[in-house]
Amino acid sequence: MPVFKTPFNGYSVKFSPFYESRLAVATAQNFGILGNGRIHVLDLPSSPSPQISELASYDTADGVYDLAWSESHESLLVAAIADGSIKIYDLSLPPTSNPIRSFLEHSREAHSADYNPVRRDSFLSASWDDSVKLWTLDRPTSVRTFKEHAYCVYSAVWNPRHADVFASASGDCTLRVWDVREPGSTMIIPAHDFEILSCDWNKYDDCCIATASVDKTIKVWDVRSYRVPISVLSGHGYAVRKVRFSPHRQGLMVSCSYDMTVCLWDYMLEDALVGRYDHHTEFAVGVDMSVLVEGLLASTGWDELVYVWQNGTDPRAF
Amino acid sequence: MAMRDLVTGGAACAVPGSSSSSNPLGALANALVGSSSKIEEKIKEIPTSIPSSSERHFYPEANDHLGALDQPFVDPNSQGSEFLRGFRSAAQGELAAAWDEIQGPLGRESQSHIPQLDHVYDRAAITQPQQPILDGPPQRVLSSFLHSFVDSSRGGVPFRPTPLPILGLSEGDKQCIRDRSSIMARHFFADKSEDFINAQVNALLCSLDIDGNAQAKGPLPGRYRELEDYWNESQGILKPGPPAADGWVAEFNQQRMEHGDGDAWAHSYEQQHGANGWASEFEKSQLTMVDQMRGANISNLAAMEQTRMLANTLAQNDDPKFQNSKFLQFVSKMSRGELIIDDNQVKESASPATGDWAAEYQQQYNRSPAWADQFLSHGPDQWVNEFAMQAERHGPVDNQWVNEFSKLHVDDWAEEFEHQVGEGVLGENSADNWANAYDEYLNEQVAAKQRSDTSRGLYVFSDMNPYVGHPNPLKEGQELFRKGLLSEAVLALEAEVLKNPDNAEGWRLLGIAHAENDDDQQAIAAMMRAQEADPTNLEVLLSLGVSHTNELEQAAALKYLYGWLRHHQKYGTLAPPELSDSLYYADVARLFNEAAQMSPDDADVHIVLGVLYNLSREYDKAIESFQTALKLKPHDYSLWNKLGATQANSVQSGDAILAYQKALDLKPNYVRAWANMGISYANQGMYEESVRYYVRALAMNPKADNAWQYLRISLSCASRNDMLEACDSRNLDVLQKEFPL
Repeated sequence: MPVFKTPFNGYSVKFSPFYESRLAVATAQNFGILGNGRIHVLDLPSSPSPQISELASYDTADGVYDLAWSESHESLLVAAIADGSIKIYDLSLPPTSNPIRSFLEHSREAHSADYNPVRRDSFLSASWDDSVKLWTLDRPTSVRTFKEHAYCVYSAVWNPRHADVFASASGDCTLRVWDVREPGSTMIIPAHDFEILSCDWNKYDDCCIATASVDKTIKVWDVRSYRVPISVLSGHGYAVRKVRFSPHRQGLMVSCSYDMTVCLWDYMLEDALVGRYDHHTEFAVGVDMSVLVEGLLASTGWDELVYVWQNGTDPRAF
Repeated sequence: MAMRDLVTGGAACAVPGSSSSSNPLGALANALVGSSSKIEEKIKEIPTSIPSSSERHFYPEANDHLGALDQPFVDPNSQGSEFLRGFRSAAQGELAAAWDEIQGPLGRESQSHIPQLDHVYDRAAITQPQQPILDGPPQRVLSSFLHSFVDSSRGGVPFRPTPLPILGLSEGDKQCIRDRSSIMARHFFADKSEDFINAQVNALLCSLDIDGNAQAKGPLPGRYRELEDYWNESQGILKPGPPAADGWVAEFNQQRMEHGDGDAWAHSYEQQHGANGWASEFEKSQLTMVDQMRGANISNLAAMEQTRMLANTLAQNDDPKFQNSKFLQFVSKMSRGELIIDDNQVKESASPATGDWAAEYQQQYNRSPAWADQFLSHGPDQWVNEFAMQAERHGPVDNQWVNEFSKLHVDDWAEEFEHQVGEGVLGENSADNWANAYDEYLNEQVAAKQRSDTSRGLYVFSDMNPYVGHPNPLKEGQELFRKGLLSEAVLALEAEVLKNPDNAEGWRLLGIAHAENDDDQQAIAAMMRAQEADPTNLEVLLSLGVSHTNELEQAAALKYLYGWLRHHQKYGTLAPPELSDSLYYADVARLFNEAAQMSPDDADVHIVLGVLYNLSREYDKAIESFQTALKLKPHDYSLWNKLGATQANSVQSGDAILAYQKALDLKPNYVRAWANMGISYANQGMYEESVRYYVRALAMNPKADNAWQYLRISLSCASRNDMLEACDSRNLDVLQKEFPL
């Protein structure tokens, strides 16, 4: 399957929700510790070949930690930049005109971005300044700031069914569930004893959420009874960096870790670990599942490579 | 208000429905103030909904995807759980209004209401690289330098930077490096202490000539902080802050961290010699050891072991990726003697400075890499001699080092060891923990029995029950039970029987949920209430019979099993009512055999027979009965569990594990089968394995008291006394982390 070499270290990869062959990659120089960043928009080849073509790329003054495709327009991208800014790029405009927006409110690194999949008019950013912010494209300032976490917020993700509900994962070892109509968080789940780096909602069960932690585990929770996780998935050898639920199968999840592997899980099975890919030669930090093509996976890591492959095949073979 | 705002019109002169750039003066203003017109055009282009096909696309042929994605997931309000929809408790407040307002046509208009917008765009236009793109040699140096920092995380061993040329980093750059590397280091080195992480980051910062003391993003507050303190305290790390000047101690400290706990040595030994091997082996070698030990501090051994372990562990990781890592190459170079660590610096190997114990030790270690192997092949005696020789050779320097080390008084292992040596010297047989733990267990059992006898039959409700007030808790409970969420099902069913105390089905299911959750006391209590509500329910009678059999209460078990027969419409005639006053095992067994002959295809009869044979400890017959029943009901997970339990009782633990596995395949959340699995492993002497299963069972149901007791015993047997405290305090988080399944 196709491979793409990025000049910087990969940080995040996301499939377009509009084009089955398109994906965007966030990268940062020097592992995101210092230097520039670049966003790559890639198109997969129509016939099987190792060539991925680059549709566009955008340079940034600081590393790009995450990005999210707009759910309302196929050419818009939201990027979370290490300098704390949130930038919007429009693929239909020449690179010189981009970014079309730059929101600078976060006082520290912006670490994740997520577009509201239900209302499709707003997005969230999570930052190391311990806050989550709610934005729309049209407003010059954030609509709201959610500041309750006591340490870096690594991820904020909308609920796939409830337009107003989202969850945030933080280094303060808690997962919080929020309703934007409420002044404060509506639920605090002390999900792990170590930092929580990622979370994602189940796409078929709107009460089910997964958390990934530095403690090497992924836990699956039911927000209605959050004292005990539904499932604890062990198998990664180092901190789990990202977890994503499948858009196609209820129990299926993909995760990537500092142990350089990408793992597939089905938390509803007894042997939950259903697949492991160790194609990356450095930390694997970005992973995504295509919503348009079932079983299509993409991952990126600090080995500066982006892999796209069909589940069950060898990412390195083509 | 900025000039452009005045001219182009902010909120005050906006024409509804038009954007500011339609203002005739806009173009002029843009020309004067510096163009932002292009950007304004683009703003208008941002659609608030899916574009129509007339809009330009990069790939027109991809248009058909749009339709499919029109509703990416589902309609927000038609589906989804009540729970989240009813999330909002307060009345529609300002927040909700503001949130609603951003949707729809208002969104676009709002743009013209907000005069500052232009500034944002101005800034956007000039945000392009604010700092020079780092390139050229300094960039490469920095990159590879940071690379080695990141690499060091893989082995979790101290980062040893090389001196760098002056890179000319700005204050901002330094701040970035300081902050980000601190935060990331906490991800890489999660199982290390805060001190280790600080040392690691400080090493990086020092080399880059960055002041590490400037305010960086601090460590975690709250829980994590406490955890760290606890960890430090428990590990006796007395030195906070950057690496200590006396290199060896810091070095040792860090290398010890590599193993996460002080017991690593004991573990590896155990793996080689088996859990019980340790004690016997130790006893054997004790006599020879004691004399030589007296002079030298025992901790010495642990330290040397740690160092050996480090190299060994790393060498054993045959993952090619890790073998290729720069860090590992560094370590292997070290072990070949090409590099030495001296005064906290990595140096090319040279003749060691005399009297410098650390270097000396290091070099000896390097010169004889076979030393570790020798230890393994020649056994402890040989090793002790070697050690004694070395100890003599080093003399006073050695002792000094020992003192230093003992200040850290780190690991339980050393204390444990010392303790045992002490006993050995006194000539007493080492009263091993196992016996103690077993005694303790027996006492606990007796106490528990007494406790349970007094409270028998009293159902204890949970304190906090979110299902109280639920419109249909029975249905919810059945659903949860079906999904295998036993603890949750218990709560829902409790809500049901609180609401309808005479609902036999509610009590019965509650009883079954408890039984499957490995809580027989509560199961019996619930079943007794079910029987009160419906005295002839066969399932209830059978469950009560099984539960009492589990508790080894023959009379009660017989009563219920006989009751089952008597109330069965087919076999009722077999059971004369007068018998129920004075039940004897033989009579009941005979009646059931008759029943089995009457209808050999009734799985239930075979099940009861199997239970009866368990009561009389005729395990072979019991196994046969269950196997017969399984042919008729192959998907009955509780039946597989019964078969497994019987096989385990008849010392066929290997077979039992297969049966339990079968049960778990059918019902993954079957806590009882998880716990039983643990028992079977324990029976086979695989204590570490058994611990994992107990912990798994307990993670699903922390109230399973029996499992906690079994866990305690297995921990003792596996020489994991370090985890006993976690077990006693029922700290599942710690246990789960330590024993993942």
